[in-house]
Order: sequence, then C-alpha cells, then structure tokens
Amino acid sequence: MTSKIALNKPRSFVLLNGDEAVARGAIEAGIKIASSYPGTPSTEILEAIAEVAKDFGIYAEWSVNEIVATEVAAGASMTGVRSIVSMKHVGLNVAADAAMTLAYTGVEGGMVIAVCDDPAMHSSQNEQDTRFFSVHSNLPLLDAGSPQEASDMTRDAFEISEKLQLPVIVRLTTRVAHGKARVRLSEIQKLARKAKFDKAGSRWVMVPSNAIRQHRTLQHKLAEAKKLVENSKFNVIEDNGKKVGIVGSGVGYYYARSILDTKKFSWLKLGFVYPFPTDLVKTFASKVKKIVVIEELRPYIEENMQRLHMEFLGKDQLGLEELGEFTPDKIRAAFSRLGLCPEAEEQEVLDLPPRPPGLCPGCPHRAFYYALNMVNQFVNCDPEKCVGCVICEYACSWEKEKVFNPVKSRIRAIRLDPLSNAAIACKICKDAPCVAACPEKALAQSTEIGVVTVDEDKCNGCGWCIEACEYGAITLHPTKQKVIVCDLCNGEPECVQFCPEGALSLSGKTTDKIVTGDIGCYTLGVLPPVNTVQTCLCMGAGISQAAGMFHAGVKDKVFAVIGDSTFFHAGMPGLLNIAYNKANVCVIILDNHVVAMTGHQPTPGSGKTALGTNAKIIGLRDVAKGLGIDKVEVVDPYDVKETTKVMREILDYQGPSVIISERPCPLKIEKGPVREVLEECNSCGVCVKVFGCPAISLTAARAEIDPNLCWGCGVCEQVCPFDAIRSTG
Amino acid sequence: MKLDLVFSGIGGQGIVVLSDIFCEAALLDGFDVAKAEVHGMAQRGGSIVAYARIGDKVESPLVERGKADVILGFEILETARVLPMLKKGGTVVVNMKYIPPNCTVQGSAELKKPQDLVGMVRKKALKVHEVDGAGIADKVGNPIVVNTVLLGALSALPENPISKETLEKAICSRLKPKFHSINLQAFQLGRESVLLG
Repeated sequence: MTSKIALNKPRSFVLLNGDEAVARGAIEAGIKIASSYPGTPSTEILEAIAEVAKDFGIYAEWSVNEIVATEVAAGASMTGVRSIVSMKHVGLNVAADAAMTLAYTGVEGGMVIAVCDDPAMHSSQNEQDTRFFSVHSNLPLLDAGSPQEASDMTRDAFEISEKLQLPVIVRLTTRVAHGKARVRLSEIQKLARKAKFDKAGSRWVMVPSNAIRQHRTLQHKLAEAKKLVENSKFNVIEDNGKKVGIVGSGVGYYYARSILDTKKFSWLKLGFVYPFPTDLVKTFASKVKKIVVIEELRPYIEENMQRLHMEFLGKDQLGLEELGEFTPDKIRAAFSRLGLCPEAEEQEVLDLPPRPPGLCPGCPHRAFYYALNMVNQFVNCDPEKCVGCVICEYACSWEKEKVFNPVKSRIRAIRLDPLSNAAIACKICKDAPCVAACPEKALAQSTEIGVVTVDEDKCNGCGWCIEACEYGAITLHPTKQKVIVCDLCNGEPECVQFCPEGALSLSGKTTDKIVTGDIGCYTLGVLPPVNTVQTCLCMGAGISQAAGMFHAGVKDKVFAVIGDSTFFHAGMPGLLNIAYNKANVCVIILDNHVVAMTGHQPTPGSGKTALGTNAKIIGLRDVAKGLGIDKVEVVDPYDVKETTKVMREILDYQGPSVIISERPCPLKIEKGPVREVLEECNSCGVCVKVFGCPAISLTAARAEIDPNLCWGCGVCEQVCPFDAIRSTG
Repeated sequence: MKLDLVFSGIGGQGIVVLSDIFCEAALLDGFDVAKAEVHGMAQRGGSIVAYARIGDKVESPLVERGKADVILGFEILETARVLPMLKKGGTVVVNMKYIPPNCTVQGSAELKKPQDLVGMVRKKALKVHEVDGAGIADKVGNPIVVNTVLLGALSALPENPISKETLEKAICSRLKPKFHSINLQAFQLGRESVLLG
C-alpha cells in the first residue's frame, strides 16, 4: 500500500499521510540511512521507508531507542551520506543529549530529524512544542502544516542541512502525520556517494577546546540560516491588499483558511520557522493594519513578534489556549470573537456513555494484572465512613446462610471507641497464623488468592484459630460449631456491595503493594476494572521510581511493570541500578515479543529487523541475569493459578527480582477456540466486573461471550467461580 | 463541489481502511482530498472517528461541527455521538448494529436503548438510511465485509460525486485479489439497500 511512495512519476498525485510524505521526501533526497524508534504519531515514517528500502539501496533500522537512532543517523551523516532519524516529540527528549552537541559538531551528509508532536495527547504523556527545542539547541526547524509540505520540506531540508552543515528538524503534528492528503510527487534523486570518514576532522571531538570553537561556528551558521529563512519558499506572503493579515504555522493556519473567505485577508504562512524570519514578518506587517497570529501549542511566533515590539492579536485576544490541539471549531470561535467570521450554530449536547479504548480481548496484560490483583485482596473498612449499621453482617449471613442473622456473618461490625466503628473480616495474612494454629489441619490457605478455607469435616470447633487471629476475623458458627471465615465471595463480596456508606472495599491492590507503570498498551491497566497501574511518567521510569520509593522506606512491596520493548529502550539501566543498589523491587516485564501499541514493530526479542530479515533473539532472562538479577522467574499469564502463586512467593522475596510474563500479543497469532457460557452461570459478573474482558457482556440472567470478539485465551474459564465457561474447541 | 464526511465506529471495525478507499477513489476521480484519523494507543474497542473532505480545493483535514454533509456510522451509539458534526438537512447512513460500551456493562455509566439512539439520529438528520450490514454480509457469506456494504450504501447517496466504477477499482487496489469478488458483491448489495430501500 505504502509502496506508492516509491513511484517514479514526478508531478503525479498520490494520497499520503504526513509520515509517508516525510518518507517520500527523504527518498526523493536520496537518503542512504533511516533509523527510528516507534512512537505515535511518527511510526509510519520508518515503516514506509523500510517497506521500499531495498529498491533504493537504503538501510533502515528500528533502533532500541531514540538517542541510539539519532547517533546511528549522525554516524552515517559523518561519512557524507544522507540520513534521516524519526521520532515522536518525547523521543526527542531521549535524543536530546546527542542532538544538542550535534549542533556543535555539525554534519557532513544531509541529516534530518523528523519529529512528530502530539497536541491534545491522542497517544502521549505530554504535549511539547518542538519549535522550542530549536530555540534550545539552535537547530533549524521546518514546521509542516500538510502532507505536501511534509514531503517538500523533508526533501529540501537535506539541501539546507548540507548548506549549513547542521542537522535540520522537520516538525509535524498529529493531524499532519496522521492526516492524508493529495501529495504531488517530485523527482527521486540518485546520489552515488561513497561513505568516507575524515579521521583528522577535529570538529567531531567535543573536548572543550574544540567545542568552544564549534559553538562559535554554530553562531556563524545561524547567521547563514537567518538569510535562508527570509527567502524560503516555505515562508510565503499572499498579499490580497486587505487590512487584516493572518500569520500562522502548522495545520492551524489551514483551519483558518478553511473557515475564512481567503480573499478578504492577507496571509503569511510560516514554514521555515527557526531561525525566525524577522524581516519577512516586518514586511508583512507593513502591508496590513492588523495582524492575527494562529499557532497551535506555545506562542512561538507571538514571542518573536513581542521581541520586535510588534503589535498583534494573539492567543489572549482570540481566546485560544496554549494546550490541546486546534480544531476548525476553536478557530471559528476565535475569529468570530473578533467579528471576522460568523459564529457556529449551537449544537445540542448529547449525553452518551463514553467508549474509551481498553486492553483487547485475549490480552495477556489483562490476565497478568488479574493475577497480580488477586494476590492478597481482602475486605477493607474505612472507620471514617463506617457508622456501625451492621448491614454488612446481614448481607453476609444472607449470602452465606440464607438467614438475616449477624451471628452467622463472616464480617463483624465493632465499635472502636464511642465515636468510631469498623467492620472486620479476614485480612488474608501471608502465612496465616490461623492455619498454623489449627491442630486438626482443617484450615488451609489458597496459594492463588490467599483465602482461608475451612474443611468442615475436620473442624471440631476448638477455637485455636480464633485465638491465633490478631484481628478477630474468625468466629464460631452458633449452631454448626464450626469456624467461619470470609472467602471474598469469589472476588465480589456482598458486604461491599450493600454497604450504604461506601466504607467497605475490596482492596489489597493499593494497600499492600505499589505498582509503578510505564509507557505501552499495558498503561491501560490504569482503567477500571483492572485498576492496577499507579504511575506512568516516561519510558523506563517505573523501575527507578519503584527503587526511589523503596529507598524512601515505603512499607509495601513495590512492583514495576514494563513492556519488553520499553525495557530494551530505557529499562535496562534502571534494572542494573536496582541490582547494584539492592532495591527490593520486583520488575515485571510483560513480554509480548513486539511493540504492540504503535502497530507491531519488531523488538530485539522478536528475531526480526525493520527490513524483515532474521536477527538473533535477545532473551530477556539472559539480559536480566546479565544485569545482575539473581531471582528471575518466567510465567505464562494465561495460567492464572501458577502466575498468582509465583506472585505470592515474590511478595516475600527480599531483594531485586524479575518476573517475565511471556505471551505473544493476541493480534499477532491465530485465534484460539472460542469460549461459551453454560447454564451454570448465575450472572455473578466476575468475568466482566473484576476481570473485565470486553468480549463478555452481562444480562440479568447470565454472561454472554461474543464469539466474534473472543480470542480464545481461556482465562475467563479460570476466573469463573462457578465453572460456567468452557471451550467450544 | 465539496463533500464533508464523518466516519464513526469502534476500533477494529475497519473505519480507517474504508475511509482510505473512499479517498483514494476521490483522488482517482480528480478531486482534491484531505482526511484525518488517529491511530495507535490500543484503539481497539474505543470510539473511532475519521474525517474525509473532498472538493475542488481542500485546505485542511478536519470537518467543522455542524458542517458534515454525510455521517457514515458503523454502530448506533457511535453514530449518535457524532451527530453534532452533521449539518442541517444532512444525511446519515447507519449500520443497525448496537454494541453497548463496557462502562455500561460494568455499571459506571447508564445504558442507552438502541431505539432511543436511533431516535436521536432521526431527529437530527433529514435523511436516514438504516443498513442491515450484518444481514447483508451474512448473505455474502462473511461477516468481515460489513464495511464494504456500508461503502456501497454511501456510494448510492446523491451527495456522492465519485463514480461506482472508480470506487470498485479503489476497493480492488486496496484488497488482496482473493477478496475482490466477495467485496464487490457486498458493495453492490449495500448500494441496492439504499437505491431500493
């Protein structure tokens, strides 16, 4: 499909998204090397290049992270060939160390850094404006507002890069990168350059004496760049002889053109925006009475104009914010505020339930989170809320004994002092003392969820367990003379549901373990009903945040969840750090053999390269051992029982450990046998409300599995407390 | 000439592919085209909207609220969700499939009745074409072609400036040859459901 970027038909039109257009521009410029790390919305740049790489003698790779990718591209450029590195905005933070000093060393062959910003954070953890990275680094920047510009700017950026001997940034935003439009193709250049490195070039060695000289050189290059921006074909005045002039960059400029009658205004489109084209903007200002500035995110153009003491109407006057993405609706509201266009008609607001994205049916992450959540859950009571109404006791005795009799309840309301109450149920202790105390071996503790079970045939009502329990959570049944203890009602305790004050909750997830998260599909584990993930900062952060919490002295065990690709990207230094500095952190690597969130790019553990060739599989167990972790376990998350058992064991383990939860992404493999619901189903809802598989829905009578959505993982079968789900295979 | 289209449905239903095919066809017929959608971040199971704008000159890819000529809905709730996009006197093609979102199943949001949602659609749109996508796909023999049925329905609207032949060509150039005949059949039946319905 994307092979149309290889079409050798100059002047013909094809439909390309902004990423593919960047790829086309790079191919037109005759690149030799392309590198990247996947990240929405930039991923398709390298994908498109890799697909046709062979035809053009291009080497393309998924590097393990963005700084590595940048260094690969820089190394290639140092030998005189053209290279492109692509990444999302936050990837540029990772690559910043290299990029900042590359501005000093400069480049030999043209080098383009394609960066996709994500205003409104469709798929990101922040919204940066990469134009300001140019201010920070002094790297020239072209700001694309359409796929056509993305293609033309990328192609020309290589010329600019070679003229200035500097890497050049081409910036896209989500609506450009993932918007498709008609793109007019240009000639594909064929460069017959041989890679050659000048071993005596002191500009490559950034020791202070050289770096000071190179910093001065950079200032000279910027002066040259300044001349280029003033005459760039990407900075264009459309002078319609009108009073109001509109200056803008990026896609927001085109929203304004869509909404307004273009002939009634004069226009200045800024594309080559760093360094800032001061003279051109001044020229434009002299042609109009009033200037309106339209730019998404930060006020870059505005700040430059302020520096020139120019008057304009900007975000403040237009009521446009520095956050979020522009839409035609926002632009219309802004211009209508100034009386420059009619207001939008009111639209009825519809109150509809949301449909957020979630983990897919069959996702091994959900299965793993279920197992992790099931470790040491118990019914917890908030004494601040509990009023001592004892409705929980009635709910429990009715559920378990079909009578309203508090004496037969497994939960007990007590008065702590004259002003506060609490309800007590089994706390699911590790190595439960009640079990150890029982002389008849009537009590046992489940290895998966830690629930204490009573064998009524063996129990003689001696009450030793009642003595042993420091919470007073075990009672004697008044008529049977056997002990009774909370069994969590298969994960959905009745008492919790009926508590009128909301004082009771099924917890354990947050009260006995901390789970730091990371960047990937598995971050969606923050959503209900999974609710496992408690942090998400940046690539690889979870491991070291966990270490920091441990060293700070938190009493709970800290787990750090990270995907395989994120681990290779930024998790390895963090793991080495906890191994060496002895943090009692359990790092869970969710290994699905692929970068799933961005659309299944290969990882170093997949055995495939960007070009589709085979590669050595880098095993996570070996890496973890090599980084100094002694305790490494591999689990199959589809085996809930075994996974929960291993997680329970690791709770007690002292020292750094790694659990590798290994299952391929279900979207990569054949569907398994679909599951079906049997007559035994009583609609308890565990599969939907606790496990949360989107293929299962719930009616009053029973659960239903949609055979089209079911991926056949079979985890629901293990989760169902009533054995009411089975395989059709 | 201008046509502003909104495609709305659930991740995994093939919205991106279908809107791609439509825009490729528009390009073949000589129109300027711009479209927008968002992918990545585990979109499966979540609301998905794609915009397509075709005309003699198209400056930007997003459709304004209250300006869409046509909504092509893959599911009833998701169709209702984008109704504020529709212009006065606009047309809606809706696949009569209702998938309650998980939050209503899990109890954190109130469930809407499908007939109420269809009522909202009828109230806003001047013309509504209710398409039994699953039924027609069943006739063809593969549930996967529902989106091609909808493309057929879209092609039969008076608003659509693209020729039937061009759309068929675009379908074939996007899909593998072994899927051509089944999709062309689905396309035809979708067309007829609007033309005859």
